[in-house]
Amino acid sequence: MKAIKYYNLLFYSLLALTASTWLSCKKLIQTPANATNQIGTAQVFADSADAEAAVVEMYVDFSDSGIGLQAAGLTVYPGLSADELKFTGGGTSFENECYTDAIPVNDGTNNGLWTTAYGYSAIYQANSCIQGITSSTGISLSEKNQLTGEAEFMRAFWYFYLVNLYGGVPLVTSTNYLANATLPSATVQIVYSQIISDLKDAQHRLGVNYPTAGRVRPNYYTATALLARVYLYQKDWQDAETAASVIINSGIYSLESNLDNVFLDGSNEAIWQVPFANPNQPYVDEGRVFVPPSASTIPKFVLTSFLLNAFETGDNRQSNWVNSNSVVTGGTAVTYYYPYKYKNGQAQEDYMLFRFAEQYLIRAEAEAALNDLPAAVADLNKIRNRAGLPGYSGAMSSPAVQAAILHERQIELFCELGSRWFDLKRTGAVNAVLGLEKPGIWPADGHAALYPVPLPQIQKNPQLTQNPGY
Amino acid sequence: MYNFYSKIVVQPPCCTQKLLLIMKLTTLIMITVLMQVSASTVAQKVTLSEKDAPLTTVFNDIRNQTGYDFIVTRSVLDQAKTVTIDVKNAELPVVLEQIFSGQPFDYQLTERSVLVKLREPSLIGKLKTALGVPADINGNVTDSLGQPIAGASVNLKDTRFGAVTDNKGHFTITSVPQGRYQLLITYIGYSRLSTVIENTGQTLNLHYVLHPSTDQLDQVQVIAYGKSTQRFNVGSVSTVGAAEIAQQPVSNVLNALEGRVPGLNVTSTTGAPGSAVQLQIRGQNTLNTTNNTGLSPNPYDQPLLVIDGVPFAPQNQNVNQDYSIATALNVALGNPHSGISPINSINPADIESITVLKDADATSIYGTQGANGVILITTKKGKAGKTTLNLNVYTGYTQATSPVQMMNTLQYNAMRLGAFKNDGLTPSANASDPGFAPDLELFDPGKYTNWFNYFEGGEAKSTNADVSLSGGTAGDTYLISLGSNHSGYNFPGDYADNRLSLHTSFHHQSSDKRLNVEFGTDYAYDRNNNSNNGAVLEAITLPPDYPGLLDAQGNLVWSYKGFDLGSYAGSYNGVGNPLGYLKQTEDLKNYNLMTRLLVSYQLLKGLDISSNFGYSKFDNVESEAQPLLSQDPAQYPYAYAQFNSADYETVDIAPQLNFRKEILKGQLSVLLGGEYKRNISAQTNLTGSGYNNDALLGSIGAADNVYASNDYTLYKYSAIFGRVGYIWNSKYILNVSGRRDGSSNFGPGKQFGNFGSAAAGWIFSEEGLFKKYVPLVSYGKLSGSYGTSGGDGIAPYQYQQNWISNSNENYQGIRPYYATNLFNADYSWSLNKKLNLVLDLGFLKDRILFNATWYRDRDSKQLVLYNLPSQTGFSGVLQNFPATVQNRGWEFSLTTKNIEGKEFRWSSSFNISGNTNKLVAFPGLANSPYNRLYTIGQSVNVQYVWKNAGVNPTTGVFQFTSANGQPTYTPTYLTSTSQLNDEYVKEDPTPKFYGGFSNTFSYRAFSLTLIFQGAKQTGKNYLAGVYVNNPPGVYGVNEPVQLLNVWHKPGDQASLQAYTTNAASQAASTAAYDFANSSGVWGDASYLRLKTLSFSYTLPAALLKKTGFAGASIYVHAQNLFTITGYQVGDPETQTIFGIPVQKTIVAGLNLTL
Repeated sequence: MKAIKYYNLLFYSLLALTASTWLSCKKLIQTPANATNQIGTAQVFADSADAEAAVVEMYVDFSDSGIGLQAAGLTVYPGLSADELKFTGGGTSFENECYTDAIPVNDGTNNGLWTTAYGYSAIYQANSCIQGITSSTGISLSEKNQLTGEAEFMRAFWYFYLVNLYGGVPLVTSTNYLANATLPSATVQIVYSQIISDLKDAQHRLGVNYPTAGRVRPNYYTATALLARVYLYQKDWQDAETAASVIINSGIYSLESNLDNVFLDGSNEAIWQVPFANPNQPYVDEGRVFVPPSASTIPKFVLTSFLLNAFETGDNRQSNWVNSNSVVTGGTAVTYYYPYKYKNGQAQEDYMLFRFAEQYLIRAEAEAALNDLPAAVADLNKIRNRAGLPGYSGAMSSPAVQAAILHERQIELFCELGSRWFDLKRTGAVNAVLGLEKPGIWPADGHAALYPVPLPQIQKNPQLTQNPGY
Repeated sequence: MYNFYSKIVVQPPCCTQKLLLIMKLTTLIMITVLMQVSASTVAQKVTLSEKDAPLTTVFNDIRNQTGYDFIVTRSVLDQAKTVTIDVKNAELPVVLEQIFSGQPFDYQLTERSVLVKLREPSLIGKLKTALGVPADINGNVTDSLGQPIAGASVNLKDTRFGAVTDNKGHFTITSVPQGRYQLLITYIGYSRLSTVIENTGQTLNLHYVLHPSTDQLDQVQVIAYGKSTQRFNVGSVSTVGAAEIAQQPVSNVLNALEGRVPGLNVTSTTGAPGSAVQLQIRGQNTLNTTNNTGLSPNPYDQPLLVIDGVPFAPQNQNVNQDYSIATALNVALGNPHSGISPINSINPADIESITVLKDADATSIYGTQGANGVILITTKKGKAGKTTLNLNVYTGYTQATSPVQMMNTLQYNAMRLGAFKNDGLTPSANASDPGFAPDLELFDPGKYTNWFNYFEGGEAKSTNADVSLSGGTAGDTYLISLGSNHSGYNFPGDYADNRLSLHTSFHHQSSDKRLNVEFGTDYAYDRNNNSNNGAVLEAITLPPDYPGLLDAQGNLVWSYKGFDLGSYAGSYNGVGNPLGYLKQTEDLKNYNLMTRLLVSYQLLKGLDISSNFGYSKFDNVESEAQPLLSQDPAQYPYAYAQFNSADYETVDIAPQLNFRKEILKGQLSVLLGGEYKRNISAQTNLTGSGYNNDALLGSIGAADNVYASNDYTLYKYSAIFGRVGYIWNSKYILNVSGRRDGSSNFGPGKQFGNFGSAAAGWIFSEEGLFKKYVPLVSYGKLSGSYGTSGGDGIAPYQYQQNWISNSNENYQGIRPYYATNLFNADYSWSLNKKLNLVLDLGFLKDRILFNATWYRDRDSKQLVLYNLPSQTGFSGVLQNFPATVQNRGWEFSLTTKNIEGKEFRWSSSFNISGNTNKLVAFPGLANSPYNRLYTIGQSVNVQYVWKNAGVNPTTGVFQFTSANGQPTYTPTYLTSTSQLNDEYVKEDPTPKFYGGFSNTFSYRAFSLTLIFQGAKQTGKNYLAGVYVNNPPGVYGVNEPVQLLNVWHKPGDQASLQAYTTNAASQAASTAAYDFANSSGVWGDASYLRLKTLSFSYTLPAALLKKTGFAGASIYVHAQNLFTITGYQVGDPETQTIFGIPVQKTIVAGLNLTL
């Protein structure tokens, strides 16, 4: 009998206990404010150290994303679309689609490029940082300027590549997805206006000194370098000349006399270079992608005969920046040439995103357009001389100078972040050149000059329209 | 020695009640004593099976079996009634109780005899009879072993009188007016007992024995927080029992559900041992959120899995974190939902029953978690009695069911040369030449290897052993069982899934029978080792003249005649040597702990309090290694190792208060309960890279660089719920349940939701008129239910923006942060409304049972990742979707006992289900990201694809129907369903109907079961896999022989386009790509499969007696023996040629009981 009473007592108290617990349901489902491995937005922008961690995220993916838009993708895909590279692999691949200038609208890699540019480590992150830092109360004004300037620069950087790959794209400058989800494409002009305004603002905010050791985070001159390029692409010759001059006259940068040092960490030519941030991938992707692992391996990408033939005899850039493998297959030896700017030298090499040589070429082109031909040739010769070639001399017509500059750009900036592809397009030469070089491949209407807007994007945003010809 | 006093001697009236009580107690004590004595002495066991037999016959039988004499006078016997009894090995006193319960006799059991006398009514009794005074009816109810049955309903039919037996099996119906009554005793799992009693005004003391029911309607069904039977259940509930599971040699119990349960669609994802099996009850409720690239799998609505009342921690998700042969690399190559199944860590032999809850009545009480249905798994419990040792062992082989016949060298080379001819190219040995063709220029044209046979054509071993020990006394029972299973991969290499499992169950009942404690723990270790590189599945497409993969020393070959095999990619991605993939190991270990404690206590008569305490922990530990020697030395070999762990943990506490009472001719049951659940899932990932020595790949410390990451999610959930059920006169049934749920997955202010259901049933066969005029129909029930439930199945903390840091990266000493999601603070419970109508019919004493069910489920406020264009920064945001999705369907089942002879028996069971999915509403569809995916009124599973218009006879390139009906090479992409026209065809992969048909034949000791299972459906055919990667004719990709039949020359009327090398002809490769998204890759994928064949022979008792075994049988079981299908290449269930085919298994086994 006693036992029964004991049970009763036990169970009634258990009942009372559970009843009271359940009545306060809210307590039962209380969880901490954040998951243990995450923090909230307020904490990210509470102080400069945390905000800085959000800002540098925009740089690390250059070395941590395989061949995407960041890393080697910006070099490889436009290089194939233009007349620089040929893919030696078989099968259906984005590489072959680029080479044959026939990218299907639903290609996954193309969609990946678009997605990366707008994604969490690029435009979204830039918008998020600009918003968070602006409204933060825990960051000093100077730090706010530095970090905001970097984010604005990066936003401009990505829009520059988007507008050159795809034409007009949706101009997203906030993190409000409700508003952003249905934005139609802005015109090329409007995208450029935003790029210029971002870069000008970044110029105001960024100092002439790099914020940290090396030239690994953008400074005033980095913003100016992109601005000079943007003006050049916009044919705003005067502003392009001015901007390039600012950098050339800064006294900070100089051309590396040894071509093998250009792409190394600490290169004097670097305006902005990004070291690898992932110890698992201790190399620059361009090096790993282009340089075959052994002398008997067929390179994945080979240089086209058009590019090889464009080198003048005695050009050191051919001996230093181009390499070859002779591979015997089935009894015949075949020589395959591949880009060798990055030598897959691991730790010593950095991603070179802006380098000084380009500024001479920008200024030369602007000067030529402004009809200051001697100045243009002088700037051009700086690049030629460094490559071991004699400078141009004597009287040259304006078209001749302009052609010489484009030729020099083709050689100096080959397989570097789509430079050749963009040059062909901005100068209007793309149809003529590729029509000649890729007969039966290059579409006569030239629609392939713009990549297709990825189909999934159009499907998810009915406001987007496809580029003509697709 | 022991006397039974059921006769009342003359007593003063005032004392009668008290005396009665004493009497009852004495009786009970005596029964107990008797029980114990007989258990310890020579058992006086009686086995009788008689129908309306004379009492004397029964007496003779008992005397023959026990030696007891019956002392009785002839005149007394004149008043005897006939006896109907069916007992097996029952104790003598129990048998006597039963025999005498309807007789006008008293009896006395002495040491060697039974004295039978005519019952003398007492003086008071006579008086009572004469005066017509109401009397109490007392009695007790036991099973055939004499164990009291608690909770049985005792009713006097068509009256308000009734009672429920207490824990001692005792009942009292007070103050019953005199007269003849039909007494009805029902208890779940036991046959209904119906008998006529006469109340003459004297207190009756009755004893009844209930027998386990053989009628399917009365089999116990485990339902939400309780038990029921098909007879009185008004929800849609289906059960699969241990016997059915045992017929199938499967290591994953979910495979045993295929074709068994109406409304449950079970799909094997691959034939890899231990691989995931998808479950879906009554269709997809939520919208697909897949993006167009098809790289992320759609969410697939799966039911809640509850094991012995405890939600299974990992549920039915893929626990394989690394890639493996069992995990598809991408949608194109296989089933995106594949992986390793956590359910494979449960030994099927430990499962007593699996119950599938489908409608609102059955699932609503699970509230939030039950929206997609619930599967309750109940494990085996111990049985009181002699200690029993059971051993079950089987072994056998598995083999691919649907081998793919690839082209031989001659055919392959002809295809390649055809492609060159079509493209106007010449094969060349120069890689920068568009005609580069190492296969034609270098490889040996005289060599032929059948790569399908090489990789997947072998046989694998399958072995299983289970040992269990069970027994105990009435108050304490136990079951301990050990299991071991080995299922090999039929891949080259020592790959297998191995499982060891331990199952225990203990039950204790206090001597006053008020306290019940049930405790059990399961532990299983499941190891699955295979390759971490699923791309090896593509190795079947290697050119048939590809060089040998191993050299004379057994080393991997990487170059051939100076050509680096890894340097030139086919689809087969620069591999060089697929045997290298097989050296890239994946070692997966799952540790599954499930433990539970159920304590219940009877507070008052009819009122029980109980609580379930459950803990489920599932640990997944994986390591994978990519050794240097597995890689082409000329392609930057890079050694790395990964060490992953994932823990899933669920704590579940569910206290309940149960009340049962007979009220107004009916049984009222009330359940009040609460539930608290806490889920933790934690993942840790360590990747080491830069190893110099393959031998150290098991060490994270030996890595040059280590990348570490972790994830941790915490989810809490609580609920209070109630259910009121009432069964009136065994005819009308009413069930109402309600529930309030709270979930930590929602933001502040959005955490709580209320859900409920109501159900009613009418057993019309109990109506007098019906019984009289339609005697053929032994059972008829109409029932229906309607109710709501909600969903919170999302990741936590999505109502705010979360930033994480990545240890992989470091920028000048700064670890970067990035945002992981867009956020929406406003989402809350999704809402699922279920309507269910059921007709149950039984014919010929329930020998034929028929069930027809119609249902309609509507899911609204869906909680899904709403797709957004990438310009927003992310692929979507979690929100309550404005759309309503409806699933509507029929389920039929028919169970028949065709022949029930003494020696030959034949029973069948057939079920078929069909579901129609429909998007009912979607406000703003036209301007949403979904406008090309969905149309109002259509199924959400529909895919709109181009209409294939065959091959242009002149050019040999695929054509498609354009909007104006003319053929075109370049169909336009669908950007809105408002554009739908002739250009597009609707393809719906949802099965039109599916079901199963099983037959069991037994003749004497032989038994044969055949289970057919099938589905009527459309699906993607093998051409989807062929064309999605590469058009036939490219380097390095062999094709199934069916691809020989393509366009070859102008004028050919072919259904497949000309070969292409893909190097020059863009038109052909674009068309090939488009073809993969056209009606051309869709077709009928219906099938009918002999899922199971089970043949067994039970050894004769005579033989066993000599050996000392209590039982023994030998058997042959086979799974997936043959499939009837029009599906051309591959398996119609997994629908890919790049997955391990579904396996055919044949085993032979032995079952011994000691």
